Order: sequence, then C-alpha cells, then structure tokens
Amino acid sequence: MKADYDVVVVGSGPGGATTAKFASEAGLRVLLLDKRQELGAPVQCSGAVSRHALLENEVLISDEFIQEAIYGFSIYHSSGENIQTDYRLLKPEEYGNAEGRVPLGYVVDRRRFDRYLMTQAERHGVEVLLKAEALDMQIESGLAILKVRHFNEELNIRCSVVVAADGLQSQVGKWAGLQTHIKFTELASCLQFVTDGVEADGLLEIITGHKWAPGGYAWVFPKGHGYTEIGLGVICSMTPHNAQQHLDQFLKNSFMKERFKNAKILEVQGGGVPLSHPLRTQYANNLILVGDAARQVNPITGGGIHTALTAGRIAGKFLAQHLQNSSDFSAQSMSQYQDLWMAVNGKKMWELYEIKSSIFRMDNIEERDQALYKTMSEYFSPNSPFKKI
Amino acid sequence: MAKSEPVLFSISWNACIQCGVCVAICPQEKSFISHFDTIAVDRPCEIACMICENICPVSAIDHSPAPAFNYTFKPEQT
Ligand SMILES: Cc1cc2nc3c(=O)[nH]c(=O)nc-3n(C[C@H](O)[C@H](O)[C@H](O)COP(=O)(O)OP(=O)(O)OC[C@H]3O[C@@H](n4cnc5c(N)ncnc54)[C@H](O)[C@@H]3O)c2cc1C
Ligand code: SF4
Ligand code: SF4
Repeated sequence: MKADYDVVVVGSGPGGATTAKFASEAGLRVLLLDKRQELGAPVQCSGAVSRHALLENEVLISDEFIQEAIYGFSIYHSSGENIQTDYRLLKPEEYGNAEGRVPLGYVVDRRRFDRYLMTQAERHGVEVLLKAEALDMQIESGLAILKVRHFNEELNIRCSVVVAADGLQSQVGKWAGLQTHIKFTELASCLQFVTDGVEADGLLEIITGHKWAPGGYAWVFPKGHGYTEIGLGVICSMTPHNAQQHLDQFLKNSFMKERFKNAKILEVQGGGVPLSHPLRTQYANNLILVGDAARQVNPITGGGIHTALTAGRIAGKFLAQHLQNSSDFSAQSMSQYQDLWMAVNGKKMWELYEIKSSIFRMDNIEERDQALYKTMSEYFSPNSPFKKI
Repeated sequence: MAKSEPVLFSISWNACIQCGVCVAICPQEKSFISHFDTIAVDRPCEIACMICENICPVSAIDHSPAPAFNYTFKPEQT
C-alpha cells in the first residue's frame, strides 16, 4: 500500500500550521486539514503573544495580524494593589514605538494570525483543505488511514504520520487510545468581551484574586483601534457561578468599575484553557500530538500560542528529518519527538505545573491570593526566575 | 453516590458561544459531539456526570431524564 502523503496535520491553528510548514521544508508531502470555514473563528483566544515567540519560531511579523503592540504588564492583587512593568520606561533604548525601538509583544487577531500561518505553510508547498473534518483514524499495514469529510465528500487518506493539532477538544489522541482527559479542576472556563469605551495603554493587565476569578484570573488587554478585551477564566469546582456571572460581577463591582462604566460590548467570545500538566504520552503508532491537543499550555499564564508554535517547529523539524531517513513510524520512533520537546519546553512546563498546583492546594483564600499575585508578578518581572515560555 | 440516571441534553443555541469547553471536559471514550461542536443532543448520556453542564461559561446546557424506551428500533411483536 502506498501513502498519499508523508504527513497529514489535523487542525490549522498555530501548532498545526507551524508543524506543516517545517515538515514541508525538507520536501515531504504534507496535507493540512481544518474543519473550519474561516480559521480562528469563532474566536476562542485573547491573542497575546511575545515578539520573542514569533521570532524564535520564524513567524515573520506582519501588520496583517497585529491588533496592538504590547510593552509590558500590570499585575493586580484582588484588592487593586498592582505591580507594573513597562519596558518603555525600563529599557527606553530598546522598547517603544519610536524608530529603531520594538514592542515586547503583540495582541493578534486570531482570525488573521491563523490564516497567515496557514498561508505561509501553503507557500512552502503544503496542501491545505478547509471544511475538512477528520472523523476517524485506523492503522493498516504500518500506515495511518484518516477518514475525512471534505464538504459532502468522504475521503480516506493514507499517510505515514498523522499530527494531531486539533486543539482543546482534540479527538485524534482519543482514537489512538491515548489518555487525553482533562480534570474538571484543571480546565478554566473563559468568557471575554471585546469592548469600546475602555482605556488601555500598551500593557497586558492581569487581575488575580479568588473574588474576581476563582481558580484563574481576569484580564484587560488593548485590542487595537481603541478597543479593549476584558475577560476571565474560572475553575468551576471553585465556584457556584458561571464565567458569565463572574465577568458581570467584575465589570460592575471590581476596583476597575469606574473605568468600565462606558464599556460597550462589540464581540462575545469564550473558550477553555487547560491549566493541567502536558500529556504524559504525546505519541502513538503513526501519530504525534502538538499544542492544546497535547495540553501544552503554560499552566501559570494560560498562554498556549507560544508553546503551540514551538511544539510545531520541533515536531515539523523532527518529521522532516526522521521521514527522510527512516520508514519506522512506530510509537517508539515517534517518542523521539516528545524527548526533543521535553528538553526544550516540557521540563519547564512541568515545573510551572508544580508551582501552580502548590498555590491552588492552599485552603486559605487570602494566602492563596497572595501566592498567586506574587507568582504572577514574578513571572512577568524583568528579573524573572522563569524563562518565559 | 447513587448511580446516575441517563440524561438527554438540550442546548440553548442562542446562548451557546461555541467555545467547545463542554466537549473538552467530557470523559466519554467515544466522541459525544453534536454537529455544532457541543456535547451531543441526539442521544442520551449514560454517564451523567454533569460536568459539561457545570463548566459551560454561559449556562447554555440543560438536561432532562432520558426517556425510558430503548433507542434502537424494534419491530412490534405479534
Ligand atoms: C479565552 C481564551 C483566551 C486565550 N488567550 C490566550 C492568549 O492571550 N495568549 C496565548 O498564548 N494563548 C491564549 N489562549 C490559549 C490559546 O488560544 C491556545 O493554547 C492555542 O490556540 C492552541 O493552539 P493549537 O494550534 O494547539 O490549537 P487551536 O488553535 O485550537 O487549533 C485547533 C484547530 O484544529 C481544528 N480542528 C479540531 N478538530 C478537527 C478535526 N476533527 N478535523 C479538522 N480540524 C479540526 C480546529 O478547527 C482548529 O482550527 C487562550 C485561550 C482561551 C480559551
Ligand atoms: S454528563 Fe459527563 S459524560 Fe455525559 S456528556 Fe456531560 S460531560 Fe460527558
Ligand atoms: S460549553 Fe456551553 S457555550 Fe461552550 S460550546 Fe458547550 S454549550 Fe456552547
């Protein structure tokens, strides 16, 4: 039996598109599938990503997807006390909007960002199908057979390796029998509004505290054109209320309520963030998992764009190298991807997970609030002991 | 805890923001998904752990006891 493709990537988010691009660089035949009609929509993300994350993963920075430049952070305790880190003031020779200065990061429009990454993959020779949903995967004679519905047509696509980059709701890993389940105590339920009429100034603002967002945090991010994104994520085992009720409470009753009083809602978006550890096994026969599908999310910040891009680069380069020299697609050979990923990102993510878990094990709310505020401030401080991922 | 009775879910499609959280948290081994990327609404859930309903950010999920008849079609016996 002959394979139709060397690699089929399921899901064209940041993880999938990056994997496809790097895998195709070595001349592999790569197919990238996504079930959506417009990538990134409905939006399930706030879109904050560091400049470093883009450069490190060879994403050329383009106006096409940037909504706002970011220059620092402001981390709040539930009381309103806050610590601000503005790189425009700290390192004015490096950061700023003047000629020769750069931002620290960006808020991107995921609809444009994901389309851009897909376009880059296509320009590298990747074939792309939209409106193409993977439905099942079988292994036969050493090849993976992916059942796909493309518009009204059913396709059976044979390939050497499937990359599951199908995001939070990932099913592909399940089909291969991997343990992908997230605990109820570790999936943050999120809601955000894009608003008009709320001031913001080039900083990512993070508001910690059980009172506002039990188990998670609230955020206020500038969103371009004078718009602002206000949202939060909660762990539902820690509250009888849903995210919507918490967001309403935050808008109306928090120490920021004066600032929010003229807020007009322009968009309503939601999603889930796995604040769990990465999957212990991110591979199977003819399969590797990338990004949210492998729960590769920073468990302190909830950020998953940088980690998905990095995993995509590692996975794509691994496949490019491995498939050129070998026709062994067994789980054992695929495990090399996880080893590479562990060395670059995995170990750090496990450490962050331990820190996060130790905070949320505290029963005393005041102590827990204080610990989260301290950890979050340290994470984003210029002298951070954490190397950012 | 007493064994849960099977439930049939219904979604308030207007409230649903298509965030996918209900599907992400569902522990069912086989995909239990509707055509609109929520948990399934066309067949009962036997596990009935209710965490999908609990985690929905906008409380768009509701349930009723699954009707007691067997869902597989049986010709009438004569
Ligand atoms: C409210 C919210 C705010 C967030 N804010 C940030 C932030 O500010 N910064 C940050 O870094 N991270 C943030 N995240 C996390 C970030 O969005 C994710 O970690 C990131 O999108 C993961 O990328 P991915 O490529 O793994 O998966 P995704 O971006 O989820 O992409 C998966 C793709 O797979 C497709 N797909 C799924 N199943 C199938 C199938 N069967 N067949 C075909 N296609 C399929 C989907 O359509 C989708 O396009 C946020 C998350 C949420 C919920
Ligand atoms: S009740 Fe539990 S098992 Fe049933 S659909 Fe909801 S989350 Fe899944
Ligand atoms: S969790 Fe609620 S809002 Fe999100 S997809 Fe499911 S039903 Fe819709």
